[in-house]
Amino acid sequence: MKVKVISRSTEDFTRDRSKDLQKVFRNYDPNLHTQEKAVEYTRALNAAKLEKIFAKPFIGAMDGHIDAVSCMAKNPNHLKAIFSGSMDGDIRLWDLATRKTVCQFPGHQGAVKGLTSSTNGELLVSCGTDCTVRLWKVPSLNFDSTVDTSKPSAIYTWKHAFRGVDHQWNSSIFATAGAQVDIWDHNRSEPINTFQWGNDSVISIRFNPGEPNLLATSSSDRGVVLYDLRTSSPFKKIIMQTKTNSICWNPMEPINFTAANEDCNCYTFDARKLDEAKVVHKDHVSAVMDVDYSPTGREFVTGSYDRTVRIFNYNGDHSREIYHTKRMQRVFCVRYSCDASYVISGSDDTNLRLWKSKAAEQLGVLLPRERKKHEYHDALKARFKHLPEIRRIVKHRHLPKPVYKAAILRRTVTEAENRKEQRRQAHSAPGSSSRKPFRKRKIIKEES
Amino acid sequence: MADSTEKNSKKQKRTKAKTVESTFLSKTSKPEKKGRMKMKGKRKGRDNDQRKRRGGGPRLPNVLRQELGLDVKRNSSSESDSEGGEDVRDFYELDEEVAQEESGKNRRFDEVENYQYELPDDFEDEEVPSDEGEDDSDKSEVEDEREKEDGERHLRMLQDITGIPKEAFDGEKKKREEVLLSQADVRSEIVTIHDLLVPLQGMPGYSSLRKRVLQQEKQPMTLQAPLPKSERDKVQRKVSDKFARKEITKWEGVVKRNREAPTLFFEQDQNLGYSTVGAIASGFEPRTEFEKQMAQLRQDPELVEAYKNDGAKMLELNKVSVKDVIDRQNRLAKMRSLLFRHEMKAKRIKKIKSKTYHKIKKKERQKAASAELEMNPEAAKQQAIKQEQKRAEERLTLKHKNSSKWAKRILKRGLDVQDDATRAAIAEQLQKHEELKRKMNSMNNNESSTDEESSDDDDEEEDESKRALKALNKAKEKTAKVLEEGDEAPKKGLFALPFMERGLKKRQEEAYEEARQALEDYDATLNQLQDEGEEGEEETQQNSSAVKVTGKRTFGPAKKPVAQEYNKRKRLDDFGKDSDSEEEDGEFDEPVPQIIEDKNDKTEGVQLGTALLDEEQVMAQHAIFRNLDDMEKAVGPKTSYEVAIFAGDSFRKVRSDSGHSNKATTSSVIHTSKPSHETKETDQSYETDSDTEMVEGFLTTNLTTDQKPDYELPSQAELVRRVFAGDDVAAEFERDKLETLNEENPEPEKPALVPGWGQWTHVQKKKGLPDWMVREHEEKKRKRGEALKKRKDAKFDHVIISETINRKAEKLMATSLPFPFTSKEAYEGNMRMPIGPDFNPASALSALNRPEIIKKPGLIIQPIEYEEVDPDETNDQPKRIIQGAKPKQSSKEKSKKGKSSNKLVPKTLGQKVKST
Repeated sequence: MKVKVISRSTEDFTRDRSKDLQKVFRNYDPNLHTQEKAVEYTRALNAAKLEKIFAKPFIGAMDGHIDAVSCMAKNPNHLKAIFSGSMDGDIRLWDLATRKTVCQFPGHQGAVKGLTSSTNGELLVSCGTDCTVRLWKVPSLNFDSTVDTSKPSAIYTWKHAFRGVDHQWNSSIFATAGAQVDIWDHNRSEPINTFQWGNDSVISIRFNPGEPNLLATSSSDRGVVLYDLRTSSPFKKIIMQTKTNSICWNPMEPINFTAANEDCNCYTFDARKLDEAKVVHKDHVSAVMDVDYSPTGREFVTGSYDRTVRIFNYNGDHSREIYHTKRMQRVFCVRYSCDASYVISGSDDTNLRLWKSKAAEQLGVLLPRERKKHEYHDALKARFKHLPEIRRIVKHRHLPKPVYKAAILRRTVTEAENRKEQRRQAHSAPGSSSRKPFRKRKIIKEES
Repeated sequence: MADSTEKNSKKQKRTKAKTVESTFLSKTSKPEKKGRMKMKGKRKGRDNDQRKRRGGGPRLPNVLRQELGLDVKRNSSSESDSEGGEDVRDFYELDEEVAQEESGKNRRFDEVENYQYELPDDFEDEEVPSDEGEDDSDKSEVEDEREKEDGERHLRMLQDITGIPKEAFDGEKKKREEVLLSQADVRSEIVTIHDLLVPLQGMPGYSSLRKRVLQQEKQPMTLQAPLPKSERDKVQRKVSDKFARKEITKWEGVVKRNREAPTLFFEQDQNLGYSTVGAIASGFEPRTEFEKQMAQLRQDPELVEAYKNDGAKMLELNKVSVKDVIDRQNRLAKMRSLLFRHEMKAKRIKKIKSKTYHKIKKKERQKAASAELEMNPEAAKQQAIKQEQKRAEERLTLKHKNSSKWAKRILKRGLDVQDDATRAAIAEQLQKHEELKRKMNSMNNNESSTDEESSDDDDEEEDESKRALKALNKAKEKTAKVLEEGDEAPKKGLFALPFMERGLKKRQEEAYEEARQALEDYDATLNQLQDEGEEGEEETQQNSSAVKVTGKRTFGPAKKPVAQEYNKRKRLDDFGKDSDSEEEDGEFDEPVPQIIEDKNDKTEGVQLGTALLDEEQVMAQHAIFRNLDDMEKAVGPKTSYEVAIFAGDSFRKVRSDSGHSNKATTSSVIHTSKPSHETKETDQSYETDSDTEMVEGFLTTNLTTDQKPDYELPSQAELVRRVFAGDDVAAEFERDKLETLNEENPEPEKPALVPGWGQWTHVQKKKGLPDWMVREHEEKKRKRGEALKKRKDAKFDHVIISETINRKAEKLMATSLPFPFTSKEAYEGNMRMPIGPDFNPASALSALNRPEIIKKPGLIIQPIEYEEVDPDETNDQPKRIIQGAKPKQSSKEKSKKGKSSNKLVPKTLGQKVKST
């Protein structure tokens, strides 16, 4: 018979330095841990509560504009730089770290309606209601040498006022939206291509960053149109019940894009099948003004006319987070930072606001133990999230009163509608009336 | 027909228009052209004219024309002629083009149609139909005439101006006209496909080609009107949609994979380059002056040589032979192991607690010391000095003369009060003191005393028998004493009761008897011992040299009768009384110590077990064992003896009736075998019983069937009734159900007044319970009834459905199956496994707690790039999206270069778009 002898080597128990952690030896035999589930549940509960305690998403506001912020653009090559344009024609470059204006780009006579930056971050394109497209050279981004103002490197005047602009990924092409869609090159004073489908003006425009030749626009005839630059023609159009204010492609899934609609919802579409929305993201209580995807493609941020900013999961029908402050007015534009950890919103109150994308996230350098602890807590929350107690705590949000009331009102209205529809169906001959699912209901027709 | 005429007229108009225009455009050319036309009419006449017209229209088949031969030749000649007026023709062509261009669109489409379908051929063909040739010619004649007139007028004018005769001009005109004619031939005779076919004649496949051409010509070719723009756009969009759909669909695999991945990593490409010091050193290049100098020195051949030599010297250890090293190591190892063993041994010995062992050890040591003293004068001297020191110490301190604290305390208390051991210890101390003092007196005595001591020792060793004697004597005395004292009985209390007294007396008598016997025994043994002792002494006197050996030898066999005797006595004892026989029997296998112990018991604990005696006893034991063995061999069957030895009590019985016990056992065997046989038979009968029931007829011959008793299988119901005869399950269940009902919907408590409440007055008391209480009670009762009716098991008498809700457990229950799980089992299994660091080893922890997305704060995440994904691949490893560091331009470019060529396709397309 072999006798097991308890042997402990001193090396295992001595620390090299006094600040080292004591090594703890554990017996992982499940028979010794009979209460593990209860223990983990309690930990999850505590983690959920801690998350609530530490949820402080607002980092700071950036004021400087003297009119409402109408559009924003992030610099794809520089993390802490963001451009903003306002209704009075002012364009500013902000340093997010210091939350200060680095540079101004004066020149526009009317409201700046569109801003975008080239992929390498060296060129800024702006357009506005004064029928001009202006190209600006972005000052070098080590902010030691601050340039107060900058002059446009080119001004292209065109026939109509502009409503939006977006830059193609990794090329010198950008597209403007106005009375029609124009494709421009950096070096040409006139558009190299022009598309028009229908006579209504185009409100917003966005290039697909993953598949750079695809382009999506929304127009004031409540339509959403897709274009392909390779065949240089539009290829799909749908008419929805209400107009779409903004569009954003998923950077990690070039198939999908999300449209921010006037009817308080966001609709995620598969670009190949526009007859039904893949997901309808509901929660806002007023028109959604802007939408921007996180670079991870797993969530997106929306800004709404109801004075709130919400963050949705890419496949979640309800928001996971809502941000609001007392002083934040109608949100006109939102952007997700390039490292997916911040959200910037620009609103009617002339301010840009910087938020954390995860409200309770600990900023700064994390020690490995801290990181592990956070990971464990997150895993626990995810594991027990469906249990009533934890779900309640995790989902609870404090809403501003008008939003809260409006949400209740909306709920009652939709419930009443549903009830009515149910009754109608119940009292009609079977099969005579069929109700379309919600994902299809808001899409009136698909043109080709 | 009408159609064709229309077309013809159109064409004619067009040609007219052309001419008009041409006149309009170039005044200089106008008369010439007119002249040309005139000349044509003049020289070649109608035939030629017709042929010319037919040039593009329906005409003779090529074969016929070839047969004419002339035609072709003429054509070629005219072509060769026309070379002179090349530039002129160009000029006309330009004119012509302008004239043709009636609308830009038409021109465009005409061109295209022209190219493909040879439409101009057709047009020209129809230009000059044979039927309406006259009309045309008429018109042309009129025109010609007019032109002629014009020409003549012109000539006249020229003549007038220049004064040169008309002929000169005429000639010039002629020449010119010739040139123009040939030109016109070429121009009007646009090269048709037939002309192109001519040189192919005779080649293989020519006829089929010609046939096809002819067929094509027969079909009327109509030009389609262009689609409206909206329609065209629609078509374009459709095509574009197809293309875009295909392009988008290629992403499906990547997207699916990323969606299904448990974790997405957005990490930076961390290429540290050098991984080892060696790698860094190998890439080192001296740059500064100092470094260069150092490198030069290092690579200096002289230095290198010197280093090599020196290095060899430094390693002198290399010259030591391997064998030596090994030897040394072995030696060291041996020493170490020896040391270790010694240490272990010492430890073990130190641990032994047995007093006997230590005594023996001490003795041995002393003996060794004494032997050394004898052998070694040096050692003796040392010993003497030691002794002297001790004595001196004693003299100084009087250590052993009751001067110690302990001794004083004992003396103070009084020696009588102390127990024997203490008294002995005190006595011993005093004796030691005496010894030490005495030795002080004379050095000579010292030696003698040591002798005495040694002799004492010897005595002890040799005369255990004497010791035993002494002990026996002592025991005898004690027993006698007991016998004498025995009569004193208590006269009071419990023991004074008559029956107690009687019992005591009886006991005493027994004890008395016993004691007497013991005395007798002692006497006997004493006598024997004394005898032996005398014998032993004699023997020792006889051969003193081998005292020990002989003594022992003689003692062994001498013990034997004692043992036997003892046994005998034992037997007697057992017959006498059975009180503590078991204990004795249990130790029967070692009889000699038993004797003494027995004695000890009976003499009430006089200790006399010295180590030596023990040793002797052991020896004696051996002897007795031997004897026993002999006895075993000598008498009876072995088994009986074994039983006798180890089973004690029964042994005697067995032996006593061993004679018939065998018989008894055999008989018992028979006895037992008989019933077993019977049972067997009955068993068989049962079996056969059942068998016969099953297969009748086959086993009827069986003898046992005769014995089959009358037995009928009870019915199922009967069986059940019998089985559950005792318990009333239904009633029990009913009770249980009632209990659970009462538990879950408890009966309302009967209303009762709290004492003191509502009892102020006599009136109140009389009224009894207040109304509201009664009402409440009734309400409660009613509610309970309703609740009972609503229960799920209300209608089932034999079912209890518990409706208790564990509120505490409720919050730990999921209301519905959470999303990724498809079955309850999977969910529960997953939940059962803990994920925390307390329950999982660190290696498994990171995988269990890994978040869905791992990113680094401050790292710019690039949009996805296309890559081929195998749909069947199983992704065990979590997907990592690694991208180049953004701020470093160079590294980014590198990574771009390395990426797949798929990326290149859209890039180039993008450039295309840019260029359009």
